[in-house]
Amino acid sequence: MVIDLKRCVSCHSCTAACKAEHSTPPGVFWAKVVRVESGRYPTVVRQGLPLLCMNCKEPECEKVCPTGATKKRPNGIVVVVSDICVGCRYCSVACPYGARYFAEDWKDYFTGTKEPSSIYAEHLRKRWLEESDRGVVSKCNFCVDRAEAGRTPACVEACPCEARTFGDLDDPESEASQLIVKRRGMQLHSEYGTEPSVYYLPAR
Amino acid sequence: MVKTSCGMCYGTCTVDVRVEDGVVVGIEGEPDSPQGYGNICAKGLSAPMMLYDPSRLNYPLLRTNPEKGVGVDPGWKRIGWGEAMELLTARLKECMDRDPRGLYTVGSPTFPAERAFNILCFRKAFGTPNYYTGGGGLHCGNGAHMIGGIYHASWSIIPDFKFCNLAIYWGCSKGHGAGHAANVAAKQAADAKARGMRLIVFDPFLSTQASTAEEWVPIKAGTDAAAALAMANLLVNEYDLFDREYLKRKTNGPYLVGPDGLYVRDKASGSPLVWDSVEGRHDRFSSKAVKDCALEGDFEVNGIRCNPSFQLLTNHLEKYTPEHASDICGVSANTLRRIAKDFGDEAKIGSTITIDDKAMPYRPVASIYFRGSQGHYNQAWDCMSLVLLNHIVGAADVPGGALAFGPPVHLGYPGTGRLKYSVEPDKDGLLVARNWPYSHLPYPPPEPRDPPERLDLQDMFYIPTYTTIMAWDNNEELWQKFKIPYRPDVMISFATNQVMSVGNPKTLMRNFLKKFRFIASFNIYSTEFEEAAADLVLPDTCFLERFASATTFPTVGVSCHATGMGEWVWAIRQPAVEPMAERRPMIDVILELAERLGLRERYLDAVEDWVDRAYGGEIDLSSAINPGDKLRFETILDVIMKDRFGPDKGLEWFKEHGYLKWDKRIEEVYWRAFTDVRVPVYLEWIIRAGRRSRAVAEKYGVPNLVDWNAHNALPEWRPCPTHAEKNPEYDLEAFYWRSALHTYSMTMQNPWLNEISQNDPYTYTIQLNRETAERKGVEEGDAVWLENPKGSKARGRVHITDGIRPDHVAIAANAGHWGKGLPIAKGKGVFFNELIEIDKEHSCPVSLGQDICVKVRLYKDGGEGGG
Repeated sequence: MVIDLKRCVSCHSCTAACKAEHSTPPGVFWAKVVRVESGRYPTVVRQGLPLLCMNCKEPECEKVCPTGATKKRPNGIVVVVSDICVGCRYCSVACPYGARYFAEDWKDYFTGTKEPSSIYAEHLRKRWLEESDRGVVSKCNFCVDRAEAGRTPACVEACPCEARTFGDLDDPESEASQLIVKRRGMQLHSEYGTEPSVYYLPAR
Repeated sequence: MVKTSCGMCYGTCTVDVRVEDGVVVGIEGEPDSPQGYGNICAKGLSAPMMLYDPSRLNYPLLRTNPEKGVGVDPGWKRIGWGEAMELLTARLKECMDRDPRGLYTVGSPTFPAERAFNILCFRKAFGTPNYYTGGGGLHCGNGAHMIGGIYHASWSIIPDFKFCNLAIYWGCSKGHGAGHAANVAAKQAADAKARGMRLIVFDPFLSTQASTAEEWVPIKAGTDAAAALAMANLLVNEYDLFDREYLKRKTNGPYLVGPDGLYVRDKASGSPLVWDSVEGRHDRFSSKAVKDCALEGDFEVNGIRCNPSFQLLTNHLEKYTPEHASDICGVSANTLRRIAKDFGDEAKIGSTITIDDKAMPYRPVASIYFRGSQGHYNQAWDCMSLVLLNHIVGAADVPGGALAFGPPVHLGYPGTGRLKYSVEPDKDGLLVARNWPYSHLPYPPPEPRDPPERLDLQDMFYIPTYTTIMAWDNNEELWQKFKIPYRPDVMISFATNQVMSVGNPKTLMRNFLKKFRFIASFNIYSTEFEEAAADLVLPDTCFLERFASATTFPTVGVSCHATGMGEWVWAIRQPAVEPMAERRPMIDVILELAERLGLRERYLDAVEDWVDRAYGGEIDLSSAINPGDKLRFETILDVIMKDRFGPDKGLEWFKEHGYLKWDKRIEEVYWRAFTDVRVPVYLEWIIRAGRRSRAVAEKYGVPNLVDWNAHNALPEWRPCPTHAEKNPEYDLEAFYWRSALHTYSMTMQNPWLNEISQNDPYTYTIQLNRETAERKGVEEGDAVWLENPKGSKARGRVHITDGIRPDHVAIAANAGHWGKGLPIAKGKGVFFNELIEIDKEHSCPVSLGQDICVKVRLYKDGGEGGG
């Protein structure tokens, strides 16, 4: 995935699109936006930075997972198989990007309890338990089900500024690969050596 | 999948709602609709959390506690719809018998499509002139919208993102995923930035667009006009960077003005005169014989000394030196010079562009304002000064320039030729807007009513859409003096939270809301307004449970159709699910009330009037609807749509397709180049209109109702009361901003948006400059009070940032709820409006819009209050 920081306005559409797509409970944000401020008034720069699982080529999380629940698929997407995950959270500690979330159980957004407060909440609960489940670690999986059905991830589709491009980084001709070359795309903390699959195009 | 229009803000993007087993399970943007092109914001995505909020109102509630007030428990009692309708009908009948003008109608700005039928048409049928929009004082733009109407025939303006190379934003963030044409503007702005459009943002804090801009100019709040007038002065008097052709042909710049400040007119026709500099004689402005008209010079016509109005403008601007502006704005004179020169150079005056074989002026610069720059005492002239920059360089509704949202010209739906409207000149050649959301046009000025009829006295003025006079301390005295024979009686409110959105809630309650015998509120939550003031609360549907007509028409109206080339779209709103529990769409109740009160014909007449004005062209509803049939909203919609789009495109067609689109034409988007209309660089008519209003005020013994000196022809910067604050203890200028995560106060109860806001450093905090914080010993997260000189105060937690002027604090609007009916919103963020006074001193003397900046002292919560 390529995120163009020149186009992003930190509107959090990605945050909400992810929540809607994956029914994540309170406190779980597979996608989010943080703000980074540097400089002193009035020469100050503030940058919004959309974050998600970097789906690294050399994922630390996979290496430390004692049960093999975290796996990199052949298409490069790193997934958590919730049936195998025991919720030890080694992966959360190992991930340099804070992309992983542990949720003890599903909770209703309005009441904070395990009881769904509406038929929609019941739907959210069901989806969450099916896709991610309680007592395990979950994270962004590049909307793997959508990707495998030929659709772009929910955050890419929703983005009002069309700041996100999803594509095959192994294909040098893909739009994503081309953008990285032409616009000097960069990885976050490439020095960690995990080879993130998320690239950022500079804002300035 | 149900195709409908999102209702989480007034941007009305077309969406696809996924429904499984009768449950809304998701919302996506509709990829082919020009209103959004598939993109969708956080608010839209969070809509199911509003639909299924357990705090939603599900049945009618009756107040049992006769006491009203902020923080008072209303003692709600559940009643049935039958009882509710009997009660409401009885109260309205009594009001009708006493004086129908005692009915006050209030509607939300978020749902203009619904508001038209729920409120505006019902109001007219009932026979009351009284109306204001929820947040009418604080959240809407008497100055911004009316100046937009006078200069661009549109509710708002935006850069032509396709061609603009340099945009200057004044207190606005257009393209940040909220507001007019929210998601379309966001994409267009992103495309423009990617293409290389430069953005310079004047704002006291590092707003969303300021943080992405090439340059942030931290200007003091409420001083934009001083900066803009200095830039205008430089363009015309120093840099010689102004568009003479545009000023001659598209403005009243050449009109001759006499010593009385008024046009010198042709005796026979009354037409304003210009000076033909080739023939050396005067002639009518519209005369084809004029070879070249003068913009500058001293002339004599029929013994009267006169000058072209542009000459008066340039003379007037001389006092606005950049050095003078610098003292006021806190921006260096050099910065103002550099940006003015940049703007003038980039305008490429004289250049043309050919699109589809049509040659037009090419002016790739735009000066754009919105809420921040307009929320001040001088707001009418502030907005005029900011828009004037575009008109000096001819960058108005031509490729690259400042464009009207909409646009305001539509040459007809190709299939039928219907839905047709255009701008037109009045007898003085000046731009008259059509397709306007209110009967009160921005221009020409209406005759003042003598005596005024409305409780807010709006109808004795000519710019305001509404005022806050009905809530001033001296309102009773004013009503008596103006011989207004009735008083507030019954209020009907649609989806508003007036207690939080106008100004100080105690003032509003004391002076206004407590005076009503009966207040009925249609809403989806019991908000602070219902708890404090309503007698009867009726459970409305939210946008996913109801029909609305065209959400993108009137195109120049509140919702604002996307602008630039591309496609027109007529989109409807329709239920994705049936209304839950005992919720009823307000329109169904209104139609039933119209029948119960014997107002059926009058209501249909009002709808005809609305359709004519807003949807371009007449309609005959009365003969299309069988007099014996019960009024149904779906029937009305069906008649309207078939009339506009042909017999095969009635409501059933729209239910299936959701929207209809067709191509825009060059002559519509860049209409200025193709229409013979002018705009005023000298607002001569304000002198005349102001005198007429003043005469009414004087006649009834209120000569000082407002500062009539501001009713003049040339733009001035005037300070806000806050700029004159002498007590050094009140050392911080507080202002509010609108977070793109929220739509006024409505979305604060949404738990997804709430959680995102809690994680965001800005939405729920008081932004304070780092150095100022250090000086005051305040640390990140500290709870502090902000207190204004009158002792009103607001509490919040501090976020320390370098992205704000050291002498300012910024607060996101509409937070700080306390109502029991909004458990998610309760206690989150800062309630800024507590600090805002509702009085003459904080009302623009021309537009009567509210001033929202305020000087405060800041002290830690729990401290001695020592500042």
